[in-house]
Amino acid sequence: MNESVRMIVVLSVIAMVSAGVLSWAYQTASVIIEENEARALESSVLEVLPGTSTVNIIRRSPDELGVEDPGEMKEREQKTTLIYQGVDAQGKIVGYAFVGEGNGYGGVVRVLVGVDEDTDQILNVKILSHTETPGLGSRIEDEGFRSQFAGKTAQDPIAINQDIDNLSGATISARATAEAVRKGLQDAVAIYRGGE
Amino acid sequence: MARMVKNFVNGLWNENPTFRLMIGLCPTLAVTTSAVNGLGMGLATAFVIACSSALISLLRKVIPDKVRIPAYIIVIATFVTIVDLFMNAYMPDLHQVLGLFIPLIVVNCIVLGRAEAFASKNSVIASIFDGLGMGLGFTWALTVLGAVRELLGAGSIFNVKLPVGATIGIMSLPPGAFITLGILMGLVNMISARQKKRAS
Repeated sequence: MNESVRMIVVLSVIAMVSAGVLSWAYQTASVIIEENEARALESSVLEVLPGTSTVNIIRRSPDELGVEDPGEMKEREQKTTLIYQGVDAQGKIVGYAFVGEGNGYGGVVRVLVGVDEDTDQILNVKILSHTETPGLGSRIEDEGFRSQFAGKTAQDPIAINQDIDNLSGATISARATAEAVRKGLQDAVAIYRGGE
Repeated sequence: MARMVKNFVNGLWNENPTFRLMIGLCPTLAVTTSAVNGLGMGLATAFVIACSSALISLLRKVIPDKVRIPAYIIVIATFVTIVDLFMNAYMPDLHQVLGLFIPLIVVNCIVLGRAEAFASKNSVIASIFDGLGMGLGFTWALTVLGAVRELLGAGSIFNVKLPVGATIGIMSLPPGAFITLGILMGLVNMISARQKKRAS
């Protein structure tokens, strides 16, 4: 066989086998990955809304949001229109949880905020994901920092050095977290109030 | 069999990728903020080296010399993607921490280095032993590095909090990785020098 033909054939066969194996691996793994993500988010909702036993997902349809641009619509759909409603064992609504985002030092800080149904106060905040520096910015996950958000409402400033104490050496991460909570809360209130 | 053991031990100490060959330093320095991260990264890399060395050794007579590098890269990238997907599925927490560094195993020079220097010239079994030795050599190096940095930087080991009064924040940051790597490399050299002295 001609040498260049052989090269083409061998490389193509290797690439095709690789593609076949990977499509199998992807199909097997992606099911579990999606399940994991859904379960992780649900357990996060239970964390930020204490006393919850069932989680309902409230989806707002795009026309309710009044957004024309499909790209922005999709973005907003993913970020803020999914509101999780926590219901306790007696069927009483505990509160609502929603995702907020802020720009940190190493990337986006995503938080889940739980708000009490009756008082509109924040019950708890959980950091869903972040790429901040380990040991410095990653301290936004500490209980001591996150607990400062509890009791705040959409009327509060929720800003570093105003009603939230800074983290020394991690100002940008702390600010991003406060921004994520504040924006998420404002968006959720706007959608929630607008829809009801 | 003795040769197989020699191939295996080679990577653990004599030609340890991290302390001796000093290759694959990018993930070494970046992910070793804790012992668990080091261990996870090391084992993922070990799996990729062992599998790709085995397959490349199997295909060594089929792959034409001129296109061997792209062929090796496809094989390696396939195994890395498999690790990436299944780690995401079964160990989502670890996957989130290691993040970008899992796909980057593709370009880790240890993997391609073993394919080129060993697997393409040796039998399948020998290549597997060599790959495992190199991979586990990389693993222990990263785990020790991660453990030291975690102890000094965060006051814990394998996520178990220890009653350490003060921590040194810089050990969790990139400079801490360089400092720790330098000191550990010195220690490994010292031990080897002593061994040599005793032998002679």
